[in-house]
Amino acid sequence: MGDYENRGRGGRGYNNRKRRYKDDDDFDRRPQRRRYEEPPVIKIRKQLLSIAETLRKPEDEIRSISQALIENYDDEELRNNVLDLILQLTVEQPFKIPFVAAVILTSNLQNPDIAKEALIRAASDARGYLEGGSWRQFKLVLRFLGCLQGLFEGDGVFTVLEELFSRAVDLQTASSDDGLGLELVKIILLTIPYTLSSSALGFEHHAASLLEKTDIITSTPHALEALVDPYPDEEKPREPVSVLTLLQRQLQTEAGRDWELACIPRVWKLPLGEDGQDPLATATKHAFPDITIPKSVNPGPKPLFPEVFFSVYADQEVETVPPSTEIASSLLRDALIDTINVLDFNRNATAKFLIDIDCYFSPDTFIKRATPFDRLKEVAGDKSTWKPEDVAVDAVFSQLFQLPTPEHKLVYYHSVLTEACKIAPAAIAPSLGRAIRFLYRNVDSMDMELSFRFLDWFSHHLSNFGFTWKWTEWSDDVELPDTHPKKAFIIGALEKEIRLSFAQRIRGTLPEPYQALIAEEKEKDAPDFKYNFDETPFALEGKEVMALLRKKAPEEEIQAVLNLIQEKAVAMGVTDSLIPSTDAYVTSICAIGSKSLSHVLSCIERCKERLLAIGPQSETARRQIITSVMDYWKDQPGVGVNIIDKLLNYTILTPMSVIEWALINHNDQRRNLAKSHIYEMVSTTVFKVTNRVRQIVAARDQEGLPEDQINMLNETLIREREEQKIMFRVIEDSLTNYARESEDEMEHNSGPNVDRKLLQKWPERWLKVFRRKLAVEEAVIGDAVKVQLKTEI
Amino acid sequence: MPAAARSTVDRLDLPSAYFLGRSRKRKYDRDRDDRDDREGSPEAAPEDPLKDATTLYVGNLSFYTTEEQIHELFAKCGEIKRLIMGLDRYGKTPCGFCFVEYYTHQDALDCMKYIGGTKLDERIIRTDLDPGFQEGRQYGRGKSGGQVRDEYRDEYDPGRGGFGRAIAEERAKEEREYGLNK
Repeated sequence: MGDYENRGRGGRGYNNRKRRYKDDDDFDRRPQRRRYEEPPVIKIRKQLLSIAETLRKPEDEIRSISQALIENYDDEELRNNVLDLILQLTVEQPFKIPFVAAVILTSNLQNPDIAKEALIRAASDARGYLEGGSWRQFKLVLRFLGCLQGLFEGDGVFTVLEELFSRAVDLQTASSDDGLGLELVKIILLTIPYTLSSSALGFEHHAASLLEKTDIITSTPHALEALVDPYPDEEKPREPVSVLTLLQRQLQTEAGRDWELACIPRVWKLPLGEDGQDPLATATKHAFPDITIPKSVNPGPKPLFPEVFFSVYADQEVETVPPSTEIASSLLRDALIDTINVLDFNRNATAKFLIDIDCYFSPDTFIKRATPFDRLKEVAGDKSTWKPEDVAVDAVFSQLFQLPTPEHKLVYYHSVLTEACKIAPAAIAPSLGRAIRFLYRNVDSMDMELSFRFLDWFSHHLSNFGFTWKWTEWSDDVELPDTHPKKAFIIGALEKEIRLSFAQRIRGTLPEPYQALIAEEKEKDAPDFKYNFDETPFALEGKEVMALLRKKAPEEEIQAVLNLIQEKAVAMGVTDSLIPSTDAYVTSICAIGSKSLSHVLSCIERCKERLLAIGPQSETARRQIITSVMDYWKDQPGVGVNIIDKLLNYTILTPMSVIEWALINHNDQRRNLAKSHIYEMVSTTVFKVTNRVRQIVAARDQEGLPEDQINMLNETLIREREEQKIMFRVIEDSLTNYARESEDEMEHNSGPNVDRKLLQKWPERWLKVFRRKLAVEEAVIGDAVKVQLKTEI
Repeated sequence: MPAAARSTVDRLDLPSAYFLGRSRKRKYDRDRDDRDDREGSPEAAPEDPLKDATTLYVGNLSFYTTEEQIHELFAKCGEIKRLIMGLDRYGKTPCGFCFVEYYTHQDALDCMKYIGGTKLDERIIRTDLDPGFQEGRQYGRGKSGGQVRDEYRDEYDPGRGGFGRAIAEERAKEEREYGLNK
């Protein structure tokens, strides 16, 4: 609603005059402002913008807006403004589509020009979205047209749906791992309910015949579906079902019930005329606007992956969200997801929509807001027990736990939940509590990437609400071995909380059994410098190195001490004498930089040359750099992980060295796989590599690049892709090795051993994640390479 | 496609009134001489200094919040290129603000949208797009070395050194004098 209302008031002059005026005659308490009647354009805009935002009857608002529009339709500015706004609301606030469509339907009774003009705009928008591959926006404009189905001569929106379907068939026959064809089918299926609940009559047959045709496409599982299953373990809370398959089944069920479609509001309904006729039935009809689906469709900017239905409230004793057999489940979810993802530029507005969801659907869809869960059992008979806050929050979680990646950064979904919780704590907080319990209960079978997202969100969320959580309910799990996924979650979440706050503060929020999880050492200002203890090998030299570094002694002096360490080490029979000297050097850098990240960075900057020279001499010594950093920061591994990341940027470390360190070169290897900071370290490293390849592709695909630059970038791309491949192969090989070792162990060591059994799970969980990452990169970059080939031909 | 310059709800990734106020003032001073032209081309604005901004000013931090904590939160919007703590001009201790620089403009915008106005170290923090850090800007501009807002603040804020310094000074003086009279 931004700046429109402010326009024409003349910025600073206004304020100045006011202030001066006030100083002169302050005794006059009555504001001397001129009575200000808002021009109709602003009034209608305001009404439209807030349409349906309250639980009051929206029908009256619709009629009043429509009346004002008819009365002022001659005003060209107003006309353009209002019609543009209606189409903008269609794509920005999808909840409101049935309501703004009703404004057009009602206006059409008295002035057919209004609908005619709206249709021209809708068609032109739709064509633009088609061209740009903006499939969400296209779907929403189609929904708007579906709601207007009663306006059209002939088959109306069904002509486009049929055309979309034949395009989907083309795409599906061309490639089995096609994602776009599925998206088109989803658009068709989601347009049908809005069309059939519009004022138009007699299209059931059209819908049924479409449904028959889409059945084959929606019931064939997609090749990549198993990769995006949120619960890949055998003991999963439920079988994965694709969103599209569900949607098809739900519509078939609904067709059997005469398309009841109870949750969609029928706000277009008007009182019958004096003759007992529905006035809409005799209103002027219009030709369906010209929207043709091009022969080759634009897939849009992002590759599409199959979606698996996700819900945190699906298995409760009382239904708080629509069961996945109900069409309401998909309709609510789809409208919510669009709202959430479209409005990422204002999380407060998103949160408000989530809280107000019951305003935008039929009045009996939900139970009263903030009804406590325990109270639901008392609800009589066939009345709805769906909690609006559960339905809303569930949709946010479906995005937060979307594989391979959601549309926006994860932190956006964090922030939406935070705001919703701030606006309506009494309603949202208990829902979040039940969601957290569900997620925690099933964390054992959850995809590992998702369990990491879970702890990242959980700790971040708590940091916004005073770190309060009923830890006591999980107290028993503190006894579990660290390799148990639940215990690993607890440890990881506490670690993250501490990183956002500090150990002492977090300790204060924890009940007794958890106290042991936070080591005393975490509360120290700086970790101990191991060379201060005489029993440490090379204690003397270590101290010397640090002292020299601290006083910024000349390089030769430092080199002399490092040489001494190496000589001694050789005498002691150490094979790679560079290891102890590197240890002393890097540990000293950590200690000097222990005060803050910028301290350690400036120290690294100073020592850069020597650090850079280590890797090329010995890969083991390069990995020692990581060992030294992580050992020094063993009680605050988050700091260590951060430093490793910076060392990668300096190319002191290579991605491969980090991966080998984490997955091969460690004493207590497999136990490491259960530690969330190790996963964090590996996944950020992998991201660095994959992101670089993507950036090269993006740079190459820029328009107007000279030939030689394209060639150069293509060469780099080939090289970097090769490295990426090797990286993924090393990950794959070392993890399969672990998995095999575990199996061998299981066979040879008889007798029950819980710990061993748990250990065995981790390599599999890791493999799942990194195989998916590889498949995604192949899909993304593979497509990009293909696209280029096509244009060359 | 429609030119959706203005959204149906406000955007959170726009510069604050503070920044706009300053740049408007600058523009006003510049335009003073040729004010007649202004009517003709109201938005023929010169290059927007925030067009590609990758830096954010972060305010309302506790004096005790560490770089690591800031890093932990702000890295959720993308890799951080540089983090500069705001320091007391005399004591060289943190004085409640910092600059966070990302590698991309998009990360900075996302940070405005998703992190500005949320809590860090249990305080609501403020973010503002910034044209870029320049040496010297890391120091407080208040009389006693900290931020200006901490000079005259009359409510007690334990995260930012108690009362405003000027006010604390006044109180201490009163107390001393009261002791002397006794």
